Amino acid sequence: MAADQTTIFRPAPSRVRQALRFLWPLFGLVVVWQVLVMALDVNPRVFPDVPTVLSAGWKTIIDGTLLTHVGASLLRVSVGTVLAIVTAVPLGIAMGVSRGISTFLTPPLRFFSVLAGIAWIPIATLWFGYGFGAITFVIFNAVFFVVTYNTLLGVSTIPMPLRHAAASLGAGHWQMLTQVLLPGALPNIVTGIRTGMGFAWRGLIAAEMIATNTGLGYMLFLARDFYRTEVIVFAMIVIGIIWLLLDRLLLAPLERATVERWGMVQRS
Amino acid sequence: MKSLVLEHLAKTYFDPYRGTQVEAIKDLSLTVEEGDFVAVVGPSGCGKTTVLNMIAGFVPKTGGRILVDDREVSGPGPDRGVVFQSFALFPWKTVRENVAFGPKMRGVGKVERARIADEYLEMAGLSHAADRYPNELSGGMQQRVGVVRALANNPDVLLMDEPFASVDAQTRMTLQEELTRIWEERRPTVVFITHDVGEAVFLANKVVVLARGNLLAEVDISLPRPRVWDSLVHDNDFKDLSNQVLQLVRSA
Repeated sequence: MAADQTTIFRPAPSRVRQALRFLWPLFGLVVVWQVLVMALDVNPRVFPDVPTVLSAGWKTIIDGTLLTHVGASLLRVSVGTVLAIVTAVPLGIAMGVSRGISTFLTPPLRFFSVLAGIAWIPIATLWFGYGFGAITFVIFNAVFFVVTYNTLLGVSTIPMPLRHAAASLGAGHWQMLTQVLLPGALPNIVTGIRTGMGFAWRGLIAAEMIATNTGLGYMLFLARDFYRTEVIVFAMIVIGIIWLLLDRLLLAPLERATVERWGMVQRS
Repeated sequence: MKSLVLEHLAKTYFDPYRGTQVEAIKDLSLTVEEGDFVAVVGPSGCGKTTVLNMIAGFVPKTGGRILVDDREVSGPGPDRGVVFQSFALFPWKTVRENVAFGPKMRGVGKVERARIADEYLEMAGLSHAADRYPNELSGGMQQRVGVVRALANNPDVLLMDEPFASVDAQTRMTLQEELTRIWEERRPTVVFITHDVGEAVFLANKVVVLARGNLLAEVDISLPRPRVWDSLVHDNDFKDLSNQVLQLVRSA
């Protein structure tokens, strides 16, 4: 038909279409998994089929254990991340404003950023005991350094004329901070939080295998002890899904809502 | 009297590439009367932008004095408004918030500063863009915002650093005409840096020619106002003055 030949202009895909585009390869993966397990007749101890995993997952949902583990993990990530942000942003800004502070703090920050993550678990458990404190400390560590460096980068890349403009319009130190430095560094701060939380989520699972008795990492580890492969696989899927939801429903929209609207980063 | 006075202004800095001291400004004295429009021209490297940065307080002077309204200046301050070549609008603020920035810093209330901003935006023909972000505007519109943002803070002196150098030629002529119109209405004290001789003669009451860190000449521009390009392009006085200034710049 003639109409088909003239539909050159294509409108932007709707949110539903975008979601479907993202989900169908994952759905394909599930199909491949089921086909392979059936075709090769895999031992369920080694890798269970889809229905087994789903029914094991359903049980953990019904009896509330999944909710307990997810809740514990999310609480640790939230507390550790928030603590890291409220300390790292002021530090990064101070470093971005003062050459002296930056010169003095860069070597120790470089040193500790290499150690960030699960390298701290042994000493964290000595300091805080097994559980919430030790794991939150590890999360804090994972987020803190990334956010500090990104804040520093953000402040030092604010064009000088913007700071000059604010100063010659009468901005004092505090106003310079709240009106220019913070919003100017925000694109980098948001990127830092997104990257840092990615590290934190990975670190969290590792830390929970060692240093606690709740959380998704512990759920994985416990299932291994009982040879519950279907629970292991289910927990791994949940870990992946929660991160995707966090990133796509919380962090990515945060970036869009502010930074892209101001034209400070290119839409990707 | 809110004039701007430069007394034996000097700027020496260390050039790490040459390993020597460089005298960017040697000994510059200049008085800009209240309500005057002075353009500073000169070949690139003559130090004109350095002078403006010192008046604005962005770079420290190494000798002499800068007086605004008989007060010696040190560091940036709201008595000297600046319009930048790169516009320097805050990308995270709407056009209205950009223009209201100066009043906000002074502690003017929200309603009052929105009223001030809207008044100035109307003057620049930008009322329709008040709620948009700078990245949504063309270069010409952005610099209109830059000009009224500086004016809305009611500075004693308006410093303009090649403000129209980064817009296209047609827009530049429009902006120049708008600036003369605004200047004729409100008579702010203006120091305008440019390398464009025609622009300097078109806008200013007095053109100052700098050469190698020194004041080479001051040329009074007594062309009648209001000034518009359509008539000045064919005006013999305008051509003569432009040629006179151009010869001075080229001899520098």
